[in-house]
Amino acid sequence: MRALGRWLGEQHWIAVGSPIVLFIAWEWASATDLLREAFFPRPSTIVIHLRHLAADGTLWDHAAMTLIRIGWAFALAAVLGVGIGLAMGLWRQLREGLDPVFAVIYPIPSILFLPLVSFLVPPGEIALVMTTAVTSFFLIAFTTTHGVRQIDRLVVEAAVHYGARGRRLFATVLLPGALPFIFTGLRLGLGFALIVVVAVEIVSTSRGLGALLWLSWQILKIEDMYATFFVIALLGAVLSYGLAALRTRLLPWVQDVTARSG
Amino acid sequence: MSLAVPAVLLVLWEMCSRHAIVSPRYFPPPTTVGWVLVDGFAAGDLGTQSLVTLTRLGFAFAAAAVPGVLLGLLMGMARPVRDAVEPYIAFIFPVPKITLLPFLLIILGVGEPAFVLTGATSAFFQIVISTLGGVQTMDPRLLEVGRNYGARGARLFWKVILPAALPAIFTGLRLGLGLALVALVAVEFIAAKSGLGHLVYRHWQMLSTPEMYAAFAIVGALGLLLTRGLRAVQARVLTWQEEVGRL
Repeated sequence: MRALGRWLGEQHWIAVGSPIVLFIAWEWASATDLLREAFFPRPSTIVIHLRHLAADGTLWDHAAMTLIRIGWAFALAAVLGVGIGLAMGLWRQLREGLDPVFAVIYPIPSILFLPLVSFLVPPGEIALVMTTAVTSFFLIAFTTTHGVRQIDRLVVEAAVHYGARGRRLFATVLLPGALPFIFTGLRLGLGFALIVVVAVEIVSTSRGLGALLWLSWQILKIEDMYATFFVIALLGAVLSYGLAALRTRLLPWVQDVTARSG
Repeated sequence: MSLAVPAVLLVLWEMCSRHAIVSPRYFPPPTTVGWVLVDGFAAGDLGTQSLVTLTRLGFAFAAAAVPGVLLGLLMGMARPVRDAVEPYIAFIFPVPKITLLPFLLIILGVGEPAFVLTGATSAFFQIVISTLGGVQTMDPRLLEVGRNYGARGARLFWKVILPAALPAIFTGLRLGLGLALVALVAVEFIAAKSGLGHLVYRHWQMLSTPEMYAAFAIVGALGLLLTRGLRAVQARVLTWQEEVGRL
């Protein structure tokens, strides 16, 4: 309570007050039809719909589906991305060979890979997960490569002089040295997995939060649309800020390398 | 950049497709795609559709850049503004911007404004956050030196704060442009009836795969041009910054 009081004392009350004021104003404006309630339903109505969706299990079904897909896609992207990223960081030939390929493929929006992937594997869950993994994979591979490359040459040479070789050099010098970058890549990759999975769900399936949002729009269940949006936003906040908090807790010595550049 | 590996991959693909080791129906030989590209630009609508996407991108970027930079600067310099706005920025930033599309579609109707604004929001939040970061992380000594030499108000802003934040602003604009392209292509893929994203979708549905790969290739080229090209511009224009972020 004391910490909260101090936090509020440092002018943060605006940060807390502004959303409260906004919601009250919104509630009032759509109650008095200043905002068209058909487009901007009252926050209180949205909460009621959210509770209905949660009570009959619809919401959990869709959310679980999305989370499972993100989980698989992220695991796939993380294993391949860190593996290939490390290899590219260590072997110059591999890096120089793959660099142009990656440079061309990386900026392509993931969703465009859906057709390609669905030619390679049977369309359905697997294609959906693989498409979701594409951008995350590249991000993780890039940051991991960069993480290995930025390790101070002196540190590596010193380790080699003290007899670190092969697996020992890798596990005690290269991997810890690249870790901050790997973590940044993983965090960004997880964020992108959410972004892509929602887009892919909109196009290609009837289950998952993206699908629920899109279907609610198509049958003009506006309140459900707002409720689903809120859940997706909450998921985004948990994935991006939760992971950052987890890292500070678990690996306090690992700094986030993009915190500075934004 | 060595181009050997991409060349080998393309030749391999060509041979596999020609000898039906991979299905030429799904993976047409690159030369076929190449000729479709040439024809598409010479006679077909590839040029027109590219222009549609580029026009949307231009509008989206303009709609995001000006308010984004202004808001970021304002948040960086005025604490109450930052406190009031930051919760929303922090809440919306990690949200997939494509989820805003249905909202914009009901509010604005199905059409260009809704498509363009979805792309714009994608860029907007990145630009605000980068700009804010640029102001917040500037060396406080620069401010002190500026003040000691008598710079105040507008002068302090133009001579000290803005130049110090400029590299971060440029990075934000560069990232924002890339994000806007990604969002717009997704919007086209999902909802619009024109543009490169829609071309990929339509030719996927019709299984006219050479045309699909052609549109795909243009998006890739566009993305490459935007990311690499702007990074080169940034390195040249902002010579006083230490190093352009590689990530």
